[in-house]
Amino acid sequence: MTAFLALLRRDLLVARRNALPMLVATLTQPILVVLVFGNLLPRMHLVSAEFRAVILPGLMAITMMMAGVQGVLMPLVQDLSGTREVDERLLAPISVFGVSLERIVAGSLHAAAAGLLALPAMMLLLHEAGGVVVRPAWSALLPLTALCGLLSAAFGLTLGTNVQPRFAGLLFAVVLGPMMLFGCAYYPFAALTALGGVRYLFLLNPLTFMSEAMRLAVTPEVPHMWVPLLLAGLLGFLALFVFLGARSFRRRTIL
Amino acid sequence: MSLLVVENLVKTYPGGRKSPAVEAVRGVSFSVEAGEFFGLLGPNGAGKSTTIGCISTLVRPTSGRVLVDGVDVTRSPSAAKRRIAVVPQSRNLDHDLTVREVLTFHGRYFGLPAVEREARADRLLDELQVTEKAHAKPSTLSGGQQQRVMIARALMHDPQLVLLDEPTTGLDPQARRVLWETLRSLHARGITFILTTHYMEEADRLCQRLAVVDHGRILTLDTPAALKKTLPGAQVLDLWVRAPQPLAPRLREISGVQNLEPVAVGGDGEGLERLRLFVDPADGLLDRVLRTVREGGADLQHVNLGQPSLEDVYIHLTGKDLRE
Repeated sequence: MTAFLALLRRDLLVARRNALPMLVATLTQPILVVLVFGNLLPRMHLVSAEFRAVILPGLMAITMMMAGVQGVLMPLVQDLSGTREVDERLLAPISVFGVSLERIVAGSLHAAAAGLLALPAMMLLLHEAGGVVVRPAWSALLPLTALCGLLSAAFGLTLGTNVQPRFAGLLFAVVLGPMMLFGCAYYPFAALTALGGVRYLFLLNPLTFMSEAMRLAVTPEVPHMWVPLLLAGLLGFLALFVFLGARSFRRRTIL
Repeated sequence: MSLLVVENLVKTYPGGRKSPAVEAVRGVSFSVEAGEFFGLLGPNGAGKSTTIGCISTLVRPTSGRVLVDGVDVTRSPSAAKRRIAVVPQSRNLDHDLTVREVLTFHGRYFGLPAVEREARADRLLDELQVTEKAHAKPSTLSGGQQQRVMIARALMHDPQLVLLDEPTTGLDPQARRVLWETLRSLHARGITFILTTHYMEEADRLCQRLAVVDHGRILTLDTPAALKKTLPGAQVLDLWVRAPQPLAPRLREISGVQNLEPVAVGGDGEGLERLRLFVDPADGLLDRVLRTVREGGADLQHVNLGQPSLEDVYIHLTGKDLRE
């Protein structure tokens, strides 16, 4: 446990030093999307006013997903590079599983911080924000943000340990891009009834549960997923990615 | 009981679709006593780094076992890691921290109290002569300085055994000598070292006992002095010749020549042969050898007479020159 906390402390120190570029990298895109879809288009009456309330939690979820994945992926690339900085961690008195778990926790803090910073920034940018029922329920928001952060970071560990660094670009195009479009970020899961049985395919996407979790926490007025299913989805995907990520982390680091 | 016991260690890296399996270590056993400076000498690919990896828990042995201070490294890796430190072959200092932070965080990982880790970091920076770089990023340091910081880092948690994996590879001769001095003075203070190297001089200067390894096996293990005594003959006569016909059979017949080993000559030495004669010094021996060379119509390019070195031991054991 001492080694775990010490590693976490090191990661937080380094994250604090790199905070500005990291935040710019993760917040720019969702904030610009809010500016266009939540401010410009409603002004032009090209989208309905309700759309603003729908995309706000969705974009929070996307921000967290990207921040969590990047928060794990970037250090991992350096860890597994030719010089193997990861060996210093692996030689600390902690299990290999402990080392991978610490990576997930550090990434989740990055993701949660990005999500919680994105919320006020987006609210400021929304056109006539007052017309949108954004009422963060903190008692639900904080634990759900933590859970979504862990899920994103565990997903990042799974991706980072299974994909060669030179394919990182492809990863964003082939995996993260489609995930963001089909992850109920821009529409609530409840509205998918229009698609019939196809809507259940969306449950294969972890981002669906993250978007719905934020919808539940931030815009309680917008219909959201049945809470037990929501929690089962978040916890199930978290367990799956912790298992897969830790297993491939071990394979990549211990020869 | 020995500080380190390695028993029948085997490591086979499983092959992939395109690569065959590699038997890196094929049954290695040795033990190291507390306070010893022990060396693993061998060419690249001999299995030295894999052996070090197995001792440090970063490589999982296929079979066999490793005990550090009685602790099985596979069964209790965390307990084993508290007892060992590794100075790896690649310079893997944490590039997001300063040099001093690299040391203090290492201390933190091992649970050292704040006062102790700060004091120890300062002491080690001073001992390894990198105090002036304390607040610099590791990437701004020279190779020799980075190596010294890695040694300081290794000593932070007061390990019983320090594993040095080719510590001077890539250093210039000056930095190499400085590092040798440092290692010698640390050893004099009672730290136990295991060193891997493919430099004969390094092994000879630092190691009290030496295992010569090749193809994943230990060929021989003894003190450098004892290893040199295993050679036939008291001196080594090295001849570089261009000969129209084989000279070796005739040279072997000369009395006083105990043994003769042809050594491969690499590079542009076309037609050049290197013959290594293990001889007992006797009157007229040199004259007899030179006469034989002349009678064989050979062109003598270069000659060297000297004491047997570890290199001779190595050539004697493996039939190849480590530097080739």
